[in-house]
Amino acid sequence: MQVSDFFEPYKGDIKEVTIGTPGKSIKIGGEKTLPLHTFEGQEGAPVRFALEVFDTPPEVWPDHLRSPYVDVLSDPIAWANKCIKQYGADLVSLFLSSLDSDSADVSKIAENVKKVADQIPSPLIVMGVGDKDKDAKALVEIAKVCSGKNLLLGPLVKENYEEIAKAAMEGGHSVIPLTPLDINLCKELNVKLTKFFPKERIVIDPMAAAVGYGIDYSFSIMERVKQVGVIHNDEMMKMPIVANIGKDCWKTKEAKEDKSQGILWEAMTAFILILAGANIVIMRHPESLKLIKKLIA
Amino acid sequence: MILIGENIHILSKVVSEAIKARNEKPLQELAVKQAEAGADYIDLNIGPARKDPDVMKWLVEVIQDVVKKPLSLDTTNPVAMEAGLSVCKIPPLINSASGKQESKEKMLPLAQKYNCDVVVSVLIDAGIPSDSSSRAEAIMETVAYANEIGIPNERIWVDPIMMPISVDQPQVVELLEFMKILPDICPGAKSTLGLSNLSNGTPEHLRGILNRTFLVMLERYNCFSAIVDSFDQELVTLMRGGLQDIKNLIYRAMDEEIDPSDLPKKEADIVKTVNVLMGRTLYSHSWLET
Repeated sequence: MQVSDFFEPYKGDIKEVTIGTPGKSIKIGGEKTLPLHTFEGQEGAPVRFALEVFDTPPEVWPDHLRSPYVDVLSDPIAWANKCIKQYGADLVSLFLSSLDSDSADVSKIAENVKKVADQIPSPLIVMGVGDKDKDAKALVEIAKVCSGKNLLLGPLVKENYEEIAKAAMEGGHSVIPLTPLDINLCKELNVKLTKFFPKERIVIDPMAAAVGYGIDYSFSIMERVKQVGVIHNDEMMKMPIVANIGKDCWKTKEAKEDKSQGILWEAMTAFILILAGANIVIMRHPESLKLIKKLIA
Repeated sequence: MILIGENIHILSKVVSEAIKARNEKPLQELAVKQAEAGADYIDLNIGPARKDPDVMKWLVEVIQDVVKKPLSLDTTNPVAMEAGLSVCKIPPLINSASGKQESKEKMLPLAQKYNCDVVVSVLIDAGIPSDSSSRAEAIMETVAYANEIGIPNERIWVDPIMMPISVDQPQVVELLEFMKILPDICPGAKSTLGLSNLSNGTPEHLRGILNRTFLVMLERYNCFSAIVDSFDQELVTLMRGGLQDIKNLIYRAMDEEIDPSDLPKKEADIVKTVNVLMGRTLYSHSWLET
């Protein structure tokens, strides 16, 4: 009898999603095993790390989060390049903070997104602010203006997934459907979305929470999503998972009051959600990125 | 299968208004229609009735004026319960007692005093047990207590507590497991559950197939009764020996994994529903569409 006799043969494989354009694209997912169980089944792409860039200078960030970016905070292109070239991020997640302003001009925002996409050496995630109407308006426009750039656009929620996904389809992008910590609703949105949108262009966000602020819920849901896909071979749950943790981590009292605490908070949140099954992690501090990379290397 | 009609329920607007205004007619009509549709018991759910426990007495009297069916008195308030019990002409069902301390002290003794059957749920002071073995543990304790005060297993209808599948699918699977082992842990006891709660939160037009399919599955494990929508004709027909083809398909889908893609729509829907209820596929509101 050998150790391998005890290994589980898994039925399902996570879809491999490619984002970005030829020459600067990356693959996400593609594994046929549970997270870090590389001894049991085919390994997919490594976990990808994105650092977050704001399209307007962030106002409420604590100083110890601003300082690594202090020279680039008002220049998203320089900021994004710094994340990749200096801090080693695999890709960048552009947060459309400018949408918060009532005078936001979506065609201008879309043009700026295009410039960022063109002038960085990595693929680009573009994230709305979480307002279903504002996000729909902006993401639809971005999908058009950035046609062919194969961006990863999110978040899509049950109220706006149709229009955003339609535009993403026409523009050749991938999308992130988001559901609020509920596996049944997560599947529901995937069922509806995949009626017209290709499964190979979806990365799901079951919603991430920070250590001490509900991470146990996030962990259980992500873990189950992955199990249902890999073990039970459920077609609707085989998409890779994104853990968007920056916002929630840096909202905590612990992260705000102290630099080393904040870095640990974000790195530990990332680590736990990688164990649960995250394929991409979106974070904010370059030092927490460094720490988590060291931890899983 | 003993069917307890759920349609006189305080959460229904018609019912709550009629009860509030002491307007007997709509309530009597609902009772007669349920009896005609095939309900064996008529459930009278008045909620906790804290302000007005005598309402149960009034309700029992107006309903037993028009139907000769036993009643299921549905309230957690022991004062209201006793007010109803004191005027029942046919021995009713107490719905329900539980393993909560207060219920054991105040509700269970009423079954002894009025010599009637009683629904005993798996609820305990710590809450609703989360799997089949903790359900078993909870009910064994409560049933032992009931036995001690003179209520034999034969007069106890165990209620495992139905949870909505859209909230907690694994609980549905656990409940089915519990039904299988119930004859071993409480020999001679009967069983019942609030079936419609299974599909609470599920889109309205899809509730029927979920409820009916699960009831056939429960019946297969000797579930004795269920509190159901009396006006679901297909459900009543299934429980009265009709639609044997559908039942056979449900049994077959329970025993082996059938590929629904080879079947006509109606049969495929049943197979998909069994798969969701057995926990083989993850539930979503669109489980019939995948």
